Amino acid sequence: MSAQNRNLHKEIKEKLNNNVMQTALSRFADQYPEARLKAYANVDNIEDLRDALRDMKRKTVDNIEQIANEFETSIKERGGQLYRAKDGDDLKQHLLQICLENNVHRIVKSKSMATEEIHLNTYLEQNDLHVRETDLGEWMLSVAGQKPSHMVMPAIHLDRNQCAEFFSEALDENIPSDIPFMIQTARRVLREEFLHADMGITGANFGIAENGAIGLVTNEGNARIVTTLPRIHVVIIGYEKLIPKIKDAAKILRLLPRNGTCQRMTSYMTMVDGPTPVIYKKGDQWVEEDRKLYVILLDNGRLKAAHDPKLKEVYQCVRCASCLNVCPIWTLVGGHVYGNIYSGGIGAILTGLLNSLDDFSKFSDLCIGCRKCESICPGKIPIPDLIDELRSRAVQEKGLNLPEKAVFQNVLSNRKVFHTLLRIASVAQKPVQSGKFIRHLPLFFAGMTKGRSLPALAAEPFRDRTSRLFKKNPEKPTMRAAFFSGCNLDFVFPDTSESVVKVLQNLGIEVVFPEGQNCCGKPVLGMGDRDTGCKIAKKNIEVFEAANVDIIISACPTCAETLHKTYVELFQNDSEWLARAQAMAVKVHEFTSFVADKYKKAGRLSPAKGKTTHMITYHDSCHMKRGLGIFTQPRALIKSTAGYEFTEMKNCDKCCGMAGAFGIKYSEISLPLLDEKISNIKDTGADTVAVACPACMMQLRGGLDQQAPNIQVKHIADILAENLPV
Amino acid sequence: MKKVCKDWVTNAFDDNLVNSSYWQEFEENAKAASAEIIHAKDLQAAQTAISGLITTLNVNKIIATNDETSPELTTLYKNIELMGSEIYTNKFDIAEHAPTADLGISMAEFGIGETGSVCVDTYSYEARVVGMLPPSHIIILNANHTVKNVTTAFQIISRVFNRGYMGFITGPSRTADIERVLSLGVHGPSRFFIIAVDEMPNRRVH
Repeated sequence: MSAQNRNLHKEIKEKLNNNVMQTALSRFADQYPEARLKAYANVDNIEDLRDALRDMKRKTVDNIEQIANEFETSIKERGGQLYRAKDGDDLKQHLLQICLENNVHRIVKSKSMATEEIHLNTYLEQNDLHVRETDLGEWMLSVAGQKPSHMVMPAIHLDRNQCAEFFSEALDENIPSDIPFMIQTARRVLREEFLHADMGITGANFGIAENGAIGLVTNEGNARIVTTLPRIHVVIIGYEKLIPKIKDAAKILRLLPRNGTCQRMTSYMTMVDGPTPVIYKKGDQWVEEDRKLYVILLDNGRLKAAHDPKLKEVYQCVRCASCLNVCPIWTLVGGHVYGNIYSGGIGAILTGLLNSLDDFSKFSDLCIGCRKCESICPGKIPIPDLIDELRSRAVQEKGLNLPEKAVFQNVLSNRKVFHTLLRIASVAQKPVQSGKFIRHLPLFFAGMTKGRSLPALAAEPFRDRTSRLFKKNPEKPTMRAAFFSGCNLDFVFPDTSESVVKVLQNLGIEVVFPEGQNCCGKPVLGMGDRDTGCKIAKKNIEVFEAANVDIIISACPTCAETLHKTYVELFQNDSEWLARAQAMAVKVHEFTSFVADKYKKAGRLSPAKGKTTHMITYHDSCHMKRGLGIFTQPRALIKSTAGYEFTEMKNCDKCCGMAGAFGIKYSEISLPLLDEKISNIKDTGADTVAVACPACMMQLRGGLDQQAPNIQVKHIADILAENLPV
Repeated sequence: MKKVCKDWVTNAFDDNLVNSSYWQEFEENAKAASAEIIHAKDLQAAQTAISGLITTLNVNKIIATNDETSPELTTLYKNIELMGSEIYTNKFDIAEHAPTADLGISMAEFGIGETGSVCVDTYSYEARVVGMLPPSHIIILNANHTVKNVTTAFQIISRVFNRGYMGFITGPSRTADIERVLSLGVHGPSRFFIIAVDEMPNRRVH
């Protein structure tokens, strides 16, 4: 499908209204995490296995030419042939030549993403070859003219009735929607294909340089038959599948089935090393000879990626597709909206590398940076970071598209203009405001408020309240802290900022608010505009250097992560600003973790005793939990607060759907995520939800205001401030 | 019969890595993967178990492989034939009858505790079709040959795997491609039996 001329919003809407798919995906998303952990229950430490895989893959990509040469030598020494194809066209022409030389008419294939990537089947059929996919799901989809929506579960978007229709159509007989019957029918039909095939084509899950073996992991057993019955075997393998040693295969095999299909091992793990015997009937005589083995090593952008200091991390991918299984976006919209062969976060990256940045930017928005994928990826690929990197390259190449450009480059980078606009907006919103929420917005903002109220901008921003608040600074402070509010806590939730100040002051800390501070820059960085991001970062660094403080406190995990991590990364090639960013980074502390530490030292962190009047639950922000690794501290603070009984909600660390600008740009996806979150909150019976992130607070308050107004959302700073001794 | 390693016990095994201590975990994981396990004291008991299966599965035609390390299996196959079953052990006969056979019988080298997999040396064509084409497959395994996990399995394999065709089998052929409902026997066998023999004669090959 061409990436051009697509209406992504329309496609997303269709998927959201597809009840069959929605039921399948939500059930799967629900069951997957637990099933995966069950598969890992008998390993000592998942992290050790992930580290071992990542390290092995990293070492391999750094020596990819040498490993590829060794692989080639091993294959040739054993009597196989190896061809290096620079791209899809090269591969197709070479393969067609092999077919002609060997008088091949019928081909059976077992699953290979690389051949889908280059649209091999269409090409072979155009050249009058009879080609059959033999993986049940792939076969079903290919006869229906559909594309797989998942790398491991290609037909997850269909139900048995739809499958039965495809079966009936393909076989021209009436096939009932009875699963065992359909399976037996497929067995019967595909068995004939196997028995009459001249050539078998497979992909490979790994290729071992040391001995030239390729490994195949399947459950149906089709790869075993494809590599056994036909007299010719063609392997199509990407460079990223190469591993140095036989023993390295274990590093993949202990993770791939567990993450991919929640199995400790798939039914079949097959290794083919060099030409192997085949017995077939020549005339009326059974003969045994060595099968012809052709290995085609596919480049198609892979070698360039291998030499890219950042993007080479895609070599750590073993195509388990578990990043899709936990992706809040993929599990809502499915694989087809990603448009290309590879879907989900890793799919966006692979598309950027193997297709083009243009194709990538069409759907690169569909990552909300929640980092769920990164937390389970067997190869520990920082998928959201690679997406950020590609976004920034796309912006460098093409520039931002217009409306965003105007906002980011002209408004956000100029604090005075930005803040003046916010102040004007706080007045202009009055006609649509009701209480603390905006219920209806004009024109294109309308989608934002369906099922969710957006907060009104505060009449008095935090920056106008500081002189009053700072009069209460301790006389003999133990340290001096600068408060970095971020936009939300300054203009939308200034009351929470007041709570932050009160809690810090109660700890004997003097709090200051450097007036020149601007947005942390995350919204522009998230869109890939690094130039504007650097401009904003430099301004903030200057302002906080001048403040002359011991520490910098942020009560927004996204801002904290940006100041603490991202600024340092931004200036990797600028030693002066790198030093200044590093000096700032060490001073930055996220509010709840800082306070929990202080409370602990002061003996104030033990669980509260006495009567409880509120039931409370906690929502983990993505950036807080997986970006900063902070999740025990907020809970400890809540439990130490008198009057609250703590209870966990289901999927407490799943994204609430706000994710910065995403929640507004893709409100159709954001809202179902919010609804799920709200239903999990309601199920706990809690009357209060604690958060430690203003963006989550905005999203949850907006949703609860419309759907469960009796449940309160409170930032932990507010909870702590309410309980301070007067 | 062509193998990756003619004699795994001598050339690949190591008593520290391959022994009977992982049997229990192997059995649990194999069962969890829908393998059916039959424990047999010796090959005589294994033969009785196989005859039982031939009856219950209503088997008419069998294809079976053997290698030089266990000539006793040849006797076992003969006995099965004497009891009236149609059994093929010659490689060309196996090729001819594979599409229509009801049962395949072959051997595994060792079992893996962590996963319930059996490691099979299937360099020869006949060893592969025996395990893939008939609807039922019986694997004969020396119950004392188990390893801890996939890492140790590959330690063993790396000693001898220089060329050929080998791998793991973990339960029967399966798919969950339609509505994620588990279905057995899509391309390979729907029934997968492991006959674990406690006292297995193992002969060194020279």
